[in-house]
Amino acid sequence: MTLKYLIQKEFTQIRRNAFLPKLIIVFPIMIMCVMPWVMNMEVKNIKVAVVDNDRSTLSQQLVHSIEASNYFIFKGQQPTYRDALQEIEKSRADVVMVIPQDYSRELANGNQPQVLIAANAVNGTKGSIGNAYLTQIVTAHVNPDAATLQAKVSTLFLYNKNMNYKLFMIPALFAIVMMLMTGFLPALNIVGEKEAGTIEQINVTPVSKWAFILAKLIPYWIIALFVITVCLLLAWAVYGITSAGPIALVYLLVLLLALFWSSFGLMISNYSDTMQQAIFVMWFFVVMMLLLSGLFTPTRSMPSWAYATTYVNPMSYFVEAIRTVFIRGGGLSSIWHQVLALLGIGSVMACWAVFSYKKNS
Amino acid sequence: MKQFHSFVIKEAKHILRDKRTMLILFGMPLVLMLLFGFAITTDVKNVRTVVVTSSMDHLTQQAVDRLSVSEYFDIVSVVATPRDAERLIRGQKADMAIVFAADFASKRSGVQFIVDGADPNMAQQWTNYATGVMLNPAGGTVNSKMLYNPQMKSAYNFVPAIMGMLLMLVCAMMTSISIVREKEKGTMEVLLVSPVKPLMIIIAKAIPYLVLAFVILIIILLMARFVLGVPLAGSLVWILVISVIYILLALSLGLLISNVAQTQLVALLLSAMVLLVPIVMLSGMLFPVESMPMVLQWISAVIPPRYYIEAMRKLMIMGVGIKEVAREVLILLGMLALLMTLALAKFNKRLE
Amino acid sequence: MNAIEVNNVSKSYGKVKALDDVSFTVGKGEVFGLIGPDGAGKTSLYRILCTLLLPEGGTAKVDGFDTVSQMTDIRRRVGYMPGKFSLYQDLTVQENLEFFATLFGTTVDEGYDSIKAIYSQIERFKDRKAGALSGGMKQKLALSCALVHQPSVLFLDEPTTGVDPVSRKEFWDMLGDLKDRNITIVASTPYLDEVRRCERVAFLDRGKIRGIGTPDDILTRFADVFNPPGIEHDKTGEVKDENVIEVEHLVKAFGSFHAVDDISFTVKRGEIFGFLGANGAGKTTAMHMLTGLNQPTSGTGRVVGYDIRTEHEQIKKHIGYMSQRFSLYEDLTVAENIRLFAGIYGMDDKEIARKTDELLERLQFTEHKNTLVASLPLGWKQKLAFSVSIFHEPGIVFLDEPTGGVDPATRRQFWELIYEAAGRGITVFVTTHYMDEAEYCDRISIMVDGKIKAMGSPAELKQKFNQPDMDHVFTYLARQATRSSD
Repeated sequence: MTLKYLIQKEFTQIRRNAFLPKLIIVFPIMIMCVMPWVMNMEVKNIKVAVVDNDRSTLSQQLVHSIEASNYFIFKGQQPTYRDALQEIEKSRADVVMVIPQDYSRELANGNQPQVLIAANAVNGTKGSIGNAYLTQIVTAHVNPDAATLQAKVSTLFLYNKNMNYKLFMIPALFAIVMMLMTGFLPALNIVGEKEAGTIEQINVTPVSKWAFILAKLIPYWIIALFVITVCLLLAWAVYGITSAGPIALVYLLVLLLALFWSSFGLMISNYSDTMQQAIFVMWFFVVMMLLLSGLFTPTRSMPSWAYATTYVNPMSYFVEAIRTVFIRGGGLSSIWHQVLALLGIGSVMACWAVFSYKKNS
Repeated sequence: MKQFHSFVIKEAKHILRDKRTMLILFGMPLVLMLLFGFAITTDVKNVRTVVVTSSMDHLTQQAVDRLSVSEYFDIVSVVATPRDAERLIRGQKADMAIVFAADFASKRSGVQFIVDGADPNMAQQWTNYATGVMLNPAGGTVNSKMLYNPQMKSAYNFVPAIMGMLLMLVCAMMTSISIVREKEKGTMEVLLVSPVKPLMIIIAKAIPYLVLAFVILIIILLMARFVLGVPLAGSLVWILVISVIYILLALSLGLLISNVAQTQLVALLLSAMVLLVPIVMLSGMLFPVESMPMVLQWISAVIPPRYYIEAMRKLMIMGVGIKEVAREVLILLGMLALLMTLALAKFNKRLE
Repeated sequence: MNAIEVNNVSKSYGKVKALDDVSFTVGKGEVFGLIGPDGAGKTSLYRILCTLLLPEGGTAKVDGFDTVSQMTDIRRRVGYMPGKFSLYQDLTVQENLEFFATLFGTTVDEGYDSIKAIYSQIERFKDRKAGALSGGMKQKLALSCALVHQPSVLFLDEPTTGVDPVSRKEFWDMLGDLKDRNITIVASTPYLDEVRRCERVAFLDRGKIRGIGTPDDILTRFADVFNPPGIEHDKTGEVKDENVIEVEHLVKAFGSFHAVDDISFTVKRGEIFGFLGANGAGKTTAMHMLTGLNQPTSGTGRVVGYDIRTEHEQIKKHIGYMSQRFSLYEDLTVAENIRLFAGIYGMDDKEIARKTDELLERLQFTEHKNTLVASLPLGWKQKLAFSVSIFHEPGIVFLDEPTGGVDPATRRQFWELIYEAAGRGITVFVTTHYMDEAEYCDRISIMVDGKIKAMGSPAELKQKFNQPDMDHVFTYLARQATRSSD
């Protein structure tokens, strides 16, 4: 019963705050409208410079086929390899291709000429993808057989047929929005009451720990539901992207994630003395969980010790499950494992949040 | 001078006594460096692969063997129909399937990749690699050379980015909070009314953070060099000089924020939103600027870390001369002049 | 030459006029009192004089320098202790003091004589962090920091709030020494005995100077504010022979330090029990144990029949509490605060609505039902906080310095509320530093160094120690203290 009054109080306080209501509304909108454009790791516009030491018809053909490819931006020819490298240093080129002097002669003799491709690999993904595409073009040119072989290989991309990076990133954005909205705000909550002194007044009332903590958690779950609705609507209205799987599962996953983050935030808040501390500690954990969640990079590429952390990282379960539902159209049968894990970690964290709150010391 | 000295000491004590914040401040670079150095990679590795074939003949077997010995692919199962493979992928038991046609042996044709396309970048790379492994056994005509980063380590790309982020965070966020805290607690009133010049208060406040930032910078550089094996290819002097410019710039930003914010909470949120989010998202730290739409590229043009990170990448990793980063350095200097003038001009010597 | 000249100064925040055409002068070496209720405009005036704010109209000169154009000269000559002054919590006592000494271009040794009387009380705790000191101790340290240098003009904005009577006397003795050195002092205070130690006082109310004159002159002219008639304590409430609080050999130790050192006492139902003691004597710690916020180290205690060690959550159902720090939610309205706390104690909506209206009517507060607590004056907040703490009709209410920082008239109204509650049978357990309030209690205990040194009715105590009033009784006992802080 007391829960009702406590929850009402939390909502009134959030509403009265000069800043929070705006944040809750504007932040998801901003994230959804801007981030899909930003979080785009698509590699395109690779700039190529060519050094043609052969200057034969055949070598010119190869150069033309690169020029014609819409994958590359052709940055012209350079007289020497050294000049071409300077182009890379000046960031005017990303990849350099060097055609050897005896390119056409070797080809005519049936030998394999050695073409050098040097890619700026500071950004590894860009370097390797540029290298791979250029290699394909060269191989096709040198060895027409390989070209026909390549043509015989077909690829079927499941689920994300248009190779749309936004579709991949939008469910991940849900995770980020949830983390920021239901993680950081509770982290500031109790420590804020400590700094204001009101916590002492609450501590001398007979209110139970569970009621007090639950009253602080529930508003964030409701905020989570509101925010995810906004996000889903925006994804549909702005990008025409909707969930392939059942929408109810999306909500279920979001609630489970909110359970974890809000409890985690309150737990940090209980242990902190100042808001600054709470924010810093929270930030530390957020960054780690985010980076190790597989949201940006595939978890399977990690070394085994890092991969082991994904077993306790709720973000990792969430990201995997939401992508299965949202992109791959999976049902409960494909994600029950993650749902259970999230529920387990969330419940443990909620209990921790309650027990770390001390009414009597 | 004595006042100045005791001011700096006092400020240093504030920092040193907050153990948890200290732990985070020094723990953060360590953890970030280790994560980016060892854990976070976009390498193609351990791709769970299903082989779909109705008859495992000699040539198919050969192709499968080639796949399974490569470190890229793990053959998790062999099934008879593409439908089974799709079911495995949907259930997240596999990432891709390679379908061999029944007459693969005779005509060496008819290979189809069925790929989980949820992540387009990785899907693309998996097909590239699989094609490479299966069809180019001889190595071929192309001699590839990965400049600056022959082992394709992500760390090379991220070390400068981590520097850009942490230095900004420590200097701007911490300085602004520490000034606003004094406002909030009422001690600023006493400091202002004292004979000490306001400018001196500010400089004294900034110095410990400058030192702190420098220590963190050194930690990052040492770790990069000796733990991650990132070569510090360029001139160390210039790396430090440009970093100092950047640190000063961050301090000015922190000062500006402290002028606007009245409470620690606002200062925190302002720093987080005005600094952290744009830095991480728009500075090219994680996501390449050139893939963004024009509007966002314009916005990113005014974000200082973008130039710092770019300059550091060129200097540290590519080892270019100072001439090649002159543009970035000039832009940083211009921004520094602007922000510092603004911050000092706006600094409130009174309470309003 | 006058030390301070204020001519027609005005200042407003939005529509609110904080200062309206204020003029006065203060002579060199004068001790000038600036008194008035909370929100009268005192703080704005201090800030203008310290060059922290710009006046909208009028001019002000301090030590002959203009506050607008000669900021630097003034800042070199004045000292200022803001009302909301908190020290650096993470620095030790000594570090705080040394920092402020250096800030003002002097050293602790040089200024030691002028702060000795107060600093010596906390000096043995010089290696403790300021954040770990009790409220009154912090104030003493703040005073030491403000006085360690010798400016030509000193501004003190309610410097003694929360400080015990003995230390307040010592503080004003120190100000007397400064005056002898020709230092001009402008101070504000809610304590009448301190007002009387000024040479002249100005009464400021709602941004206007209502009168300037000798303390006696002002106190009689505005007697309705400063010198309200004492309250008749007609014994409506019946003291029953039944103990609501029973404490035996209670100890709270922090390491080797015994904040509360073996106290035993009882409080009877319906009593108003005054729990007095110097800063750091252990009052707040004892109260925290009784209200179930802290566990005792040893000893036993029962409050409303429940054990304080094991049944603290039961106790919490039957008590009310109003803390030293103001304890309502500032961002909720009056009605919302009442509703929240009533809801916590298990009342239903209908009952809450009815009792809220009743209460607000009784307090004549109905028009402010939907006002944010943050925008109420301090006196009103305190009355409201008290009313909320007894809204659920507890058996006993604990009040920790409930009337800090408000003027006598408001304090009197507050005590009327206390009597009303006692009349309804609620036991009142109150700490205070106002000795006139001590006289209002049925029974008093005085704590010194963690032990209870005296207990009895005010009349009994006065007789026993052969002193004319409670103030003297307190001073007599507190001067025997050997330790000075918790």
